[in-house]
Amino acid sequence: MISSLSAFAGRWQTTRLFSAARLVPLGVCLLAGCATARGDVHDPLEPVNRAVFAVNRVVDGLVLEPAAEVYGLVVPRPVRRMVRNLLDHLAAPVVFVNALLQGERERAGITLGRFMINSTLGLFGLFDFAAELGYLEQDEDFGQTLAVWGAGEGVYLVLPLLGPSTVRDFVGSAVDTVLLDPAGLALSGEAQLARLATEAVVTRYELDPLLDDLERSSLDFYAAVRSSYLQRRRAEIRNGAPAPFDDSVYRETPDESFEDPANR
Amino acid sequence: MSPSKTPPIDESVRRWARRRLLAAAGLGWVALWALPAGAAASDPKAFVLDLRDRALAVLRRTDLDREAKIGALEDLLEEATDLDLIARLVMGRYWRQATPDQQKRYLELFRALLRRAIAERLDRYSGESFDVTDVQKVDDRDTIVRTLVQRPNGGAPYVVDWRLRDHDGRLLVIDVVAEGVSMLVTQRSEVAEIVGQKGIEGLLATMEERLKKQRSAG
Repeated sequence: MISSLSAFAGRWQTTRLFSAARLVPLGVCLLAGCATARGDVHDPLEPVNRAVFAVNRVVDGLVLEPAAEVYGLVVPRPVRRMVRNLLDHLAAPVVFVNALLQGERERAGITLGRFMINSTLGLFGLFDFAAELGYLEQDEDFGQTLAVWGAGEGVYLVLPLLGPSTVRDFVGSAVDTVLLDPAGLALSGEAQLARLATEAVVTRYELDPLLDDLERSSLDFYAAVRSSYLQRRRAEIRNGAPAPFDDSVYRETPDESFEDPANR
Repeated sequence: MSPSKTPPIDESVRRWARRRLLAAAGLGWVALWALPAGAAASDPKAFVLDLRDRALAVLRRTDLDREAKIGALEDLLEEATDLDLIARLVMGRYWRQATPDQQKRYLELFRALLRRAIAERLDRYSGESFDVTDVQKVDDRDTIVRTLVQRPNGGAPYVVDWRLRDHDGRLLVIDVVAEGVSMLVTQRSEVAEIVGQKGIEGLLATMEERLKKQRSAG
């Protein structure tokens, strides 16, 4: 049903390409992700991805996971909270610029306000005072901006050391890193390295319960991570709205075209 | 998630699941244990809140040992979720390709694995609770109840969506979606992967193996 719907939408777009009405289905597709219904996975590089995934897990077990464990044991909770706040504060400009690029004025405004409040009342970002005032952290990056602009997701990738991604997200993080991150440009080489290492360890620490749970409960950890990553990114692009057009998952109608692994 | 700056080692891992949704999947299941029976069962919001209260009541009981709690939560799960439907939807189109014998074995394994998952998550429950923030009707059968989970030990709250199906006036949970990640969709994707590689017998073997491993791990 879903696939036939999007196939229909696709044909319709092509035939009416030069009609003003094309903007309507196009807009729907941008918001809803017609090309990527919720369960869809495009992983033609799976053999390579699985190999990289396996290597990443070894590296994780040797380096990152132990470091994250030490972090949790040694650093008290209030300090961990400040470390996370500071990392997010340094990243706020990236969120701000991407919100603007997506035309999300309200989210950009909230991010700017947060930055000013937390730079002052929050003692240079150590405390998230803005959240107490009701200005919650927003979440944007250039991968999401590309999606809003209409770029397709591309194939699923597992990057060495960096983990799950897609072509679109890989380009997105490269642009965020090289062009849109003033903190990264302002910090000295050592400071930036320290920031990255801290971010890696802290994030690994925060993700530990989730990864652990997923690994224990999954029948195929690689497939579970891939599906979770793609679903999560698509939800972020929708800014958290429930997934539309994904109802075939909840239907028992026999639709041979749906989620055929051979089509991936 | 916060924006990616320069890629730290696991930046993309960070992107797919930020601290906000840490354990979201786990909590989803935690909450799933607790479903209500007949009462209030036709109002989605009341159904989910009743479910929450009954689960929390079990979790907070001091007169039950671990095994008894697991048993009580399993009963709630059976009562308030459409487990057979969930299991079939996880199989997707392969359900029809399975023989009746395979279907029977699959349903048994699905339930057994779920029991293990409940036991594990019970051990990790740390006081989370949630409130209903929105109710959206999807179609004439399904409703999504959006909840915001609060964590007592700090950490940002996160969103869990409950998908309820109306069976002739009786509501049953058919999916739990934590920060956009659906349990059903994730499991379905795993099953499609395994069946695609090893066939339905291969799936059943994988499930059995996993069950053995979990049992030996305690």
